[in-house]
Amino acid sequence: MKTNAPEQKRPESASEIESSAASWAAKADRGDLSFDEQAALEKWLGADTRRLGAYARALAVNAHFDRAAALGPGFSPDDFEEARPSPPPALKRRHFLFAGGAALAASVAAAVGFGALSAGAAVVTAKGDTRRIALAEGSAITLNTDSRIEPRFEERLRQVDLVKGEALFDVSRDRDRPFVVHAGDVRIRVLGTSFSVRRFDDGAVEVAVLEGHVEVGAAGELHPHSLRRGQRVRVSPRGDFRIERLSHAALERSIGWRRGIIDLQGMTLARAAAEYARYSDRRIVIADPAVGAMKVTGVYSTSDPLGFARAAALSLGIQAIPTADGVRLDRR
Amino acid sequence: MPSHDRTQWLARRILPHEGELRTWLSRRPLVGLDIDDVVQESYAILAGLGCVGHIRNPRTYLFEVAKSVVLMALRRSQVVSFSALTDMESLEVPCDAPGPDAIAAGRQELERIATFIATLPPKCREVFTLRKVHELSQREVAHRMVISESTVEKHMGKALRLLANAITYGGNSPIPASKACEDERARTETSGIGLRN
Repeated sequence: MKTNAPEQKRPESASEIESSAASWAAKADRGDLSFDEQAALEKWLGADTRRLGAYARALAVNAHFDRAAALGPGFSPDDFEEARPSPPPALKRRHFLFAGGAALAASVAAAVGFGALSAGAAVVTAKGDTRRIALAEGSAITLNTDSRIEPRFEERLRQVDLVKGEALFDVSRDRDRPFVVHAGDVRIRVLGTSFSVRRFDDGAVEVAVLEGHVEVGAAGELHPHSLRRGQRVRVSPRGDFRIERLSHAALERSIGWRRGIIDLQGMTLARAAAEYARYSDRRIVIADPAVGAMKVTGVYSTSDPLGFARAAALSLGIQAIPTADGVRLDRR
Repeated sequence: MPSHDRTQWLARRILPHEGELRTWLSRRPLVGLDIDDVVQESYAILAGLGCVGHIRNPRTYLFEVAKSVVLMALRRSQVVSFSALTDMESLEVPCDAPGPDAIAAGRQELERIATFIATLPPKCREVFTLRKVHELSQREVAHRMVISESTVEKHMGKALRLLANAITYGGNSPIPASKACEDERARTETSGIGLRN
């Protein structure tokens, strides 16, 4: 968005760019561009990033209409002129389709989850994966990247060991059958609620409560801390408790990984790179401490460390250099 | 320059959500920012990504990219209040609820495509139908209609511009020209204020 460019007469408007981009896409649609045309296109694209975007979009629109071929040679556009104002019924049917799909997926998940858990086996995720397991009694566990849980369900007690990583627990209420999560020496006991537990490499454990309340304590402790909705506790490796309050938005962001999203707001680049190392083997390497100390912002896809590195480089004015196993961030 | 595969990906996974993105952006207080600019910058980033095969949720990804574009622009413009910036930063991308622009399946999508083609002006529509439905090359279309190849190309360009608007504004009414002019003026004025400060 080049709004402040006093030496230019006036910034090119988005719709002007759109027109030119459509013309270029029409030219490309003709077949291969000639050498001169190709050079002219590249020159045009290079002058403003918005042009590349508009051109990519025009090509996409053209590709979108490729499936018009399926209308067949008998197609007459006139038949469709009257058909325009009729989206509502189609919309309803579509919703129905989506709902059906979701229900089907849920029932498949339930079948898989139940089978796995009643056998007492471990559930694991590989780096970069998340997995949701629905339990027969109505609870659900969502595992984040590179994690492992070992459930032990008994008649009077539901127990899950978080052996490694991070998981979100949506526990169905059952007074007679408490739900207990063990994360190393930390024990979290619940009746019916939703909360996440993360084990850090240094031995610390973090518990965030999204709904209801939970009790967090060291294994065998008589007086556990009671944690309410919106609270997060960090238990240090030495067993110190630090409770903080999270806003609703921050709470939601903290479990963004469920949707494949990672929140890097206010983090340094170095920490963001470490966070990404949880999700992917593609490494983000930062040699210069001054670059590592730069602050990043925004929410990104957990599965795209390289995309993040590129976006960060773009916004911080540094460069992202591809390496054999990832990307290196450095000053220009 | 976007590859063939990337173009297909944009057409299938991103374009269907653009209308919803525009609606979402239009509810934000984007002082001095043009939604079309944000959309173009977002496409530029998506076109420039090294690979996209691992993006599990392209819709969310599109929204996040657009959000980062807005944030970058807000920071640079320096006329925006701090609260506008934090508002935007804490903004949650709408998730999981397929909006009215969500991808329709099979026959419905085909009907939608047919309806869009029907809205084109007559000559433009004839060219586009021969090119896309009958799958003739631009040269063959020129022969069939007994017009020059450059005229066919012009009609194609016009069709792509009109169809892009039709798809992404929900297929109702493209923004009238006078309105677009007003927006343009508003944008230049705001940037003027920015310079004075």
